[in-house]
Amino acid sequence: MNVPVHHFLYLGAFLFSVGLVVVISKRNTILVLLGLELMLNASNLNLVAFNRLHPGNLQGQMFAIFVIVVAVCEAAVGLAIVLRIYREYQTSVPDDVNELNL
Amino acid sequence: MEHLAEQLSSIKASFILLGPELVLSTGIVVLVILGLIKKIQKTTLTAMSALTFVVAIAVSLALSRSMAQESAALFGGMLRRDSFSSYLGLLIDISGLLTVAMTWRRQQLQRALSEYYALLITITLGAHLLVMSVNLLMVFLSLEMVSLSSYVLAGFAFSRKGTEGSMKYFLFGSVSSAAMLYGFSLLYGLTGTLDFSLGEFTRPLIDHPSPLFFIAAFLGLAGFLYKMAAAPLHPWAPDVYEAAPMPVIAFFAVVPKLAGLGVLTRFTLALYAYGQSSFDWQFVLSLVAMLSLTVGNFSALWQKNAKRLMGYSSIAQSGFLLVGVAAFVPQGIHYMLFYASAYVVMNFLVFLYLQYFESLGCTTLESFAGSGKILVWPAVFLLVGFVALTGLPPTGGFTGKLFIFSSLWDAYQLSGKGVLLWLMVFGLLNTVVSLFYYLRIPFYAFVRSGEINAKPNYLTFENLLGLILVLGVLYLFFNPGLLMGWINKINFVL
Repeated sequence: MNVPVHHFLYLGAFLFSVGLVVVISKRNTILVLLGLELMLNASNLNLVAFNRLHPGNLQGQMFAIFVIVVAVCEAAVGLAIVLRIYREYQTSVPDDVNELNL
Repeated sequence: MEHLAEQLSSIKASFILLGPELVLSTGIVVLVILGLIKKIQKTTLTAMSALTFVVAIAVSLALSRSMAQESAALFGGMLRRDSFSSYLGLLIDISGLLTVAMTWRRQQLQRALSEYYALLITITLGAHLLVMSVNLLMVFLSLEMVSLSSYVLAGFAFSRKGTEGSMKYFLFGSVSSAAMLYGFSLLYGLTGTLDFSLGEFTRPLIDHPSPLFFIAAFLGLAGFLYKMAAAPLHPWAPDVYEAAPMPVIAFFAVVPKLAGLGVLTRFTLALYAYGQSSFDWQFVLSLVAMLSLTVGNFSALWQKNAKRLMGYSSIAQSGFLLVGVAAFVPQGIHYMLFYASAYVVMNFLVFLYLQYFESLGCTTLESFAGSGKILVWPAVFLLVGFVALTGLPPTGGFTGKLFIFSSLWDAYQLSGKGVLLWLMVFGLLNTVVSLFYYLRIPFYAFVRSGEINAKPNYLTFENLLGLILVLGVLYLFFNPGLLMGWINKINFVL
């Protein structure tokens, strides 16, 4: 069972693109957060896969672990901000929240 | 066992060199604990955070004086303390101290003051680590440290608008940091190392340049440009600036910008590999600088709200700072540091008085009408600040811009690249454009007549601090040699 590295990279690029499309096209902030997680996990996949190309140390694996922790913090802060938005505006759709004039 | 003891002793040695950052971390913990005490005075919290910054400044001064060698690698090459990072760290600490001084005037209005200060110091700590990072993992972690605290701090006006600004900041920021991370993961795959100061990082990039490398590095740059509020990743800036409390904006205009600039300088110098890279990063940076200057200045022309105007102005100032980096000559980085120092002083001068006028009800440009006749000194000092931001003599802003453009001219003479000449033309034209909006507030204050509900009062804290900052701005014009001599000692090695 030896999958070539580039398959992982295709999967990573696919996940990143899907995440970006979700972030851009979805109107709800919660779904935007989901897309964000996909983008971060695409990078995780890349890092772990690339670590196989550069054996000898575990830099890529370590990076992935740190990214997971940071992603959790980011989701926590993001959800807290969504809660505040919901309390002020009774919606979680960013398009409906535009009091700051452009 | 031998190996372990060796590692432990190197970690111990690293901790000593990490003095200022340890002081800041202690400050955060103490402020959070003090916030738990119910009957704590707000002044105590302010004094505590001011003390943290003062001690951090003292420690970093002592450290840079006592350091034996030019640069030291900490924690096995994760961080690097050299004169460049020490200088930027010092500027960041001074900005933090000035922010605390600004907050002191409105501390009764600020809810959750202990968390406010704790977040402020967290951003400072993250910025310190960011300018010291030479490892992609460390860059990511410290950038997120700055970002996550900034998202929260942007909403500290506790208003509808504040929440909205905070959300917009979060959405832009998290997407650009995710893109940056993807770029970092590709860079790791292409080079096999996370430490971008090593030759191992640059060699594969010189030997086998591939378009994938360009895309990866460009995605990586996106994270830094977003932190600096440079175009094309600037759209969050005006919204956040309009919604956040005044001291927070003054802080955002300096600290994340300088931190982003510091790491961007190191990163692009590594990518450029001293001119051996086959991709023209000079061209990319010049383009970004031109775009920031133009977008910032031209959008600022139509603004009616003073805070929003400063948001666009900060985008344009990022462009000017980037010009110094884009020259890619050592002198350019020195002059960029000089301009950054002048920028700290004039930025706080302007925001200090914008806060003063805001407390009197002046938020739109029209509402400044007539204030120059009653509040003479605040209006005059504000004028000096705006003149400095425009870059006219006799202020430090003029000297800084002169230095930056002269280094750009040198770089043009050296390389003969057309894009540098264009950058020069754009920069000079934009200086003229910026005159029109920077001088609008003083125009309303002195020329238009209007009613303002205030009594003249010369002996305020603002005027004292403002006088010091004004003298600083003027001093940088009349005697730039002192600061420049200090900056010239900074030896920029990657």
